[in-house]
Amino acid sequence: MLSFIGRSVVQKIITLFFVSIVSFLIIHIAPGKPSQVDPMNPKFTPEVVERFRKEFHLDKPLHVQYLYFYKDLFTGETVSWKDNQSVLKKIWERFLNSLPLFIVGTIITWTLSFPIGIRSAIFRGQFYDRSATFLSYLLISIPGFFFAYVLIIFVVNQFHVPVIGMETFGIGDGASLPHIFMDRIWHLLLPSVLGATGGIAVLSRYVRSQMLEVEGQDYIRTARAKGLSPEQVHYRHALRNALLPFVTMFGLILPGLIGGSVIIESIFSWPGMGRMAYEAILARDYPVILTVNFVSAILVLAGTFISDLLYLIVDPRIRL
Amino acid sequence: MTIRRVLIFAPMLLILVLLQSYFWVPTYEEQTKGNPERLNEYIAGSIGDASLLNPILTADSASSSIENMVFEGLIDRDEQLRFRGRLATSWEVLEEAFFYVNKSSGIPGLGKAGPQDVADLLREAKKKKNTTDPRLKNSLDYITAISVIPPRNYLVTKQIKGPDTGEQKKYIKISIAAPARIKLALDRVDQDLFQNLSLLLGEDYFASFHGENYLSADPALEKERLAKYAGELLPAVEHNPVLMFHLRPGVKFHDGHLFDAYDVKFTYESIMNPKNLSPRIADYEPVKFVSVIDPLTIKIIYKRLYSPAIGTWGMGILPEHLLNSQALTKEAQRLGKDPNTFSMRQSSFNRNPIGCGPFRFQEWKSDQYIILDRFDGYWEGLPNYKKYVFRVIPDRLTQEMEFYAGTIDSYDVQPHQVKRLEKDQRFQSFSGTAFGYTYIGYNIRRKPFDDPRVRRALGMAIDVDKIINYVLYDQGERITGPFVKQTDYYNNNIKPVPYDPKGALTLLEAAGWKRNKEGWLTKDGNKFQFTLITNNGNDLRKAILAIAQDSWKQIGINVHTDLLEWSVFIQERVNKADFDALILGWQMGIEPDLYQIWHSSQTNPYQLNFVGFKNKEADDLIIKIRQEYDHNRQVEYCHRLHEIIVREQPYTFLYVGKWTAVLDKRIVIKTLDDAEQIVYEKIKPTKTGNYSFYFNKWIKLPKAPSFMDEG
Amino acid sequence: MNIDEKGFNQDFQFEAPMAPKRTRLQEFWLLFRQNRLAILGLFIFILFFCCAIMGLFITSGPDPLFDPAMIRLQEKLRPPLAKPNLDSLRREEIPCLGFYLMGTDDLGRDVFARMLQGAWVSLTVGFVAVGISVLIGIFMGGVAGYFGQHHIRVDHILMTILLISGAGLVMAHSIRFGAVLLCLTLAYIFYSFFTQNRSGEKSVPSWAKVFRKSAVSVDTLIMRIVDIMLCFPSFFLILTVVALLPASIYNIMIVIGLTSWMGTTRFVRAEFLSLREQDFVAAVKTLGASNFRIIFRHMMPNAIAPVLVSATIGIATAILTEAGLSFLGFGVPPPHATWGNILSDGKNFIFDAPWLTFIPGIAILIVVLSFNLFGEGLRDVLNPKLRERH
Repeated sequence: MLSFIGRSVVQKIITLFFVSIVSFLIIHIAPGKPSQVDPMNPKFTPEVVERFRKEFHLDKPLHVQYLYFYKDLFTGETVSWKDNQSVLKKIWERFLNSLPLFIVGTIITWTLSFPIGIRSAIFRGQFYDRSATFLSYLLISIPGFFFAYVLIIFVVNQFHVPVIGMETFGIGDGASLPHIFMDRIWHLLLPSVLGATGGIAVLSRYVRSQMLEVEGQDYIRTARAKGLSPEQVHYRHALRNALLPFVTMFGLILPGLIGGSVIIESIFSWPGMGRMAYEAILARDYPVILTVNFVSAILVLAGTFISDLLYLIVDPRIRL
Repeated sequence: MTIRRVLIFAPMLLILVLLQSYFWVPTYEEQTKGNPERLNEYIAGSIGDASLLNPILTADSASSSIENMVFEGLIDRDEQLRFRGRLATSWEVLEEAFFYVNKSSGIPGLGKAGPQDVADLLREAKKKKNTTDPRLKNSLDYITAISVIPPRNYLVTKQIKGPDTGEQKKYIKISIAAPARIKLALDRVDQDLFQNLSLLLGEDYFASFHGENYLSADPALEKERLAKYAGELLPAVEHNPVLMFHLRPGVKFHDGHLFDAYDVKFTYESIMNPKNLSPRIADYEPVKFVSVIDPLTIKIIYKRLYSPAIGTWGMGILPEHLLNSQALTKEAQRLGKDPNTFSMRQSSFNRNPIGCGPFRFQEWKSDQYIILDRFDGYWEGLPNYKKYVFRVIPDRLTQEMEFYAGTIDSYDVQPHQVKRLEKDQRFQSFSGTAFGYTYIGYNIRRKPFDDPRVRRALGMAIDVDKIINYVLYDQGERITGPFVKQTDYYNNNIKPVPYDPKGALTLLEAAGWKRNKEGWLTKDGNKFQFTLITNNGNDLRKAILAIAQDSWKQIGINVHTDLLEWSVFIQERVNKADFDALILGWQMGIEPDLYQIWHSSQTNPYQLNFVGFKNKEADDLIIKIRQEYDHNRQVEYCHRLHEIIVREQPYTFLYVGKWTAVLDKRIVIKTLDDAEQIVYEKIKPTKTGNYSFYFNKWIKLPKAPSFMDEG
Repeated sequence: MNIDEKGFNQDFQFEAPMAPKRTRLQEFWLLFRQNRLAILGLFIFILFFCCAIMGLFITSGPDPLFDPAMIRLQEKLRPPLAKPNLDSLRREEIPCLGFYLMGTDDLGRDVFARMLQGAWVSLTVGFVAVGISVLIGIFMGGVAGYFGQHHIRVDHILMTILLISGAGLVMAHSIRFGAVLLCLTLAYIFYSFFTQNRSGEKSVPSWAKVFRKSAVSVDTLIMRIVDIMLCFPSFFLILTVVALLPASIYNIMIVIGLTSWMGTTRFVRAEFLSLREQDFVAAVKTLGASNFRIIFRHMMPNAIAPVLVSATIGIATAILTEAGLSFLGFGVPPPHATWGNILSDGKNFIFDAPWLTFIPGIAILIVVLSFNLFGEGLRDVLNPKLRERH
């Protein structure tokens, strides 16, 4: 066990190192320079551009820039080129904004996909299964922004309530606490449902196939033969065993914490991670892009690590 | 079965909780009509967030729209685009001019003369009533004082940079024995002063002054290099325009601190401070020095003639007491950072600005909103709105929907929406000519664009009126040249290039291009083909791209098109002049300074004359315009320059857009008349198209008023 | 008990030598036919394919039947089925159906012509992108699964690093230094070839043995590369690369392809790992078949099923990704029309001309749905574990 942990930590760190190199190279070798050194603005003389380059260490060779950047990152001193704010602070702020979206989205995904998937497996090939399949694929087949627009126009025109932003604009003055809270929930509804559609479709299909696989096993046949009620068979014997792989998936949702969807966040004016990263890409704000990338890589690696670990704990057959 | 029940009830409960929240949300009706406070705030929608709220550090439009509310400059422009005093009550434009006494050159009627004699000669000439030449007389009349600066000796150390010196730095000492100098004080700027004085002092009195004779270098230098230094250190003549601002007494910053001339000086010094990396440094580079005469008078002396200088003082003034080095050091220590590297860029002031504008900063939530409160102590009186809110909504469609619902008061309205909203009874719409134009630029370095006939023919093939009519929904006007259309600098006598595909073909035939069997234009067996590029993210340019491609295809030109991401477009193609033709726009200042975009010295990579326009006559005019302080003469030069550019057609000038705005009809101008009665007026754009000129007087009423002139 | 067992055995022996009644394909089709949704998906998929091919022919060439680039500004934003205003049009500008089947867009271009052209472009984007990702995936997965236990020597790794950094330096404009690195590396590779052929490893001095040590197995290396790729959030990575590279239809295809091969690699590797241990592979091996033949003739057909499924769904995802990129302004640039950029251009006019949004939106929805349903059907049929037991 300990040796497994040690080995995979070392492995993950090496991977992380390579990720940092690759992302650094992608960004620095690609054409386009930070907008602060944009010579298209008549106000930027070549001297100013040169000074900016110096300030950002852009005049140094790549490997030196790499060291500079990661030294700053690990000492927490990285600042965004756009507004000189600490990148970690910015990411933390955005993270807090994205967090509710992520939590509600995840809860919706996980609570809905299980009943849907299980019932589809029980009624395999019947009308319920077919319509569930069709509906879940319908939802992931709509281009996200098209769906979002249609939903927004529908809700706004039918119910005359705001849907964009994190809360109704200006509600802070004078509203009671439950009002504010419920208002937030309402604003979470559409974007998180939109974000969850893909997850529901994929996860419910996965639940269905896991259930089917388990239902085909001999011990289920035995349970049936024993005369147990179908409900007991499905929910007690089959479900428990089918759940095994999903325990490990808890680790894999971790990266979702930082990968907010750019499209949904811009349509819903949600000041989240995705939008910040997107704007950073457009402005070539290298510190922000690289830090977001680095943090998300850490989360991905941590996620796989946790899921390996959970697997190890949950499934006694595996001994590494 | 509990599991089954949980599995069914958990999602139902969740859905229920989520859906019931609908009943708690205030509807649009409650937010707008049901909320009286809403009438006292103005909410502007914006696509992007501001970056920093410090006028000397930013150049983006989102930040400056807030900065204009929070900070105030010395001057701005009024409805007629004339300068108007804000923090300055009045100002004078003077000049100090210098020339070295040239002992080797003979003066007509005086011979070789010393400084005192020259000064006396000038004084005499000034007194004389009937000077022969009126030009000379004018120039002499401007002179208010003449003084002599005695000769002096001093040492200068210079660092040599050059290909032959290699890596190591070399210093030379130059000792200067400067001869006597005459200082002339003028009551206005006169760029022809020395030219006119040479009528009196002899034709080559100034030209024959050789500064290198008064220099000696250690180690010795060759003659040419010494002459170069002489041009720098001992220029024969020197113009020093002077700006003198008299400041408004009793103006306060939002924190109650009194505004004075030291704040102005500090603002200038902060811009020039290399640590701050100010993007505005180029505007202030010609300043020689700024001196505070008294707390309410400040004098700015320029190194050379530079007429756009006055306009640069519209720049917001920073409070010195919050940002000077002591304050920054204190802040650095509080944050535990190194005070030596801590600069204004890192200061928390940038997210918490204090100025002396009509609105004071209250709150900023990144990518959500910025709230400004009106400033009680504003010198011009309270604005009517209590709050100004800048709300970030990155998506155009949701912005539009929020606008219909009344939760934002203005947004970046698109031409086709203006067309639709004009008819709507709830809204009023404004439009006026804007300051930026869109053009197709040709790379003149490349064939066949080196031929002005070809460039003109390409322009003739495009039906610009149709573009304005159908793509812009008439929210644009044709433009023929590079000046702001509503200023005098723009030459209204010039007719735009007509839409005439046949004429275009005739012109092209004259240039050697003939249509082949398939209908393509060819010359010497080569097909006429090129690539037209523009940046992505701009729907209008994308539409023009498609239209131009289609129009040119109809006269037999094979055009490829390419859309590039902005920074790739600029850095890989425009800056390296690696393009055939491009669609782009210029945002212009009111000043007619075209040096960076049209002067032939600016055609190198990374400079703005990327089309490679070179014209001797145009160069002279551009220099003259930026040195001329007299409006009428500037106008005259501009008209001539405009003609040359139209003749050469380096760009196909397409259109100048309009500022368009749609506002709720309930927003009106509220003023007090002489009898202290409240008067409501309809918002009208000024002559220049700026509808928000009287923003401080705007207010939203519960019901749309009806005005007499409506109907 | 005993009798039972015996009987079973007899049955088994009796049945075994019989040839299967149906070929694999027939059996597959029988199963597939039961899934009506998948059949529907297949049907739409074929229809879409035909439209795309037809669209290619009637919208391209010097004088196409439907010209998607023809601009008629005076005819802008006409609703579907509108008759053109014949007075204001030149002869060649009149749409060939006599009316605008799907209306016109903001520049007066025929939306039907653009949809036809877009069908082909969207299809190409989907297929090429997935093709790239499948090829890379199969290659990497195959190598990892089949040659996984081979080891890579330290000097190989060093050489690769030098090679890559040399190429990187050349690209980052310090050409001289980069070229020197590249030449050195190539020289060493040739040198090691020669020495290996002549004298084996005898002449290597002891200090150089370090370089000859085995470092990592091929499998570990490839799976770590997959891990590294998975560390980038995929849409974000695509966005970064597309924003940084000049936009072109090829770049979009390549980028989508290069960022989505990891799943395929994992499938193929897993399949290969299990197939490699199977008897039939051992049998072929003893017959002396080459690695190449084993991989492509014997193992690949057995490993291809999950790849096919993920490829079908991958095409759907690629079309959606392109639409998402178009929304952000980084999709396929004009003059190519794709359904994604028709949709994202049209959204500006959603209140003035809703058909500009709804036609491409619904078209994408239907096609992507058909791909997904078809892929799902395939998965059901190809996965023996999920087959219903009768």
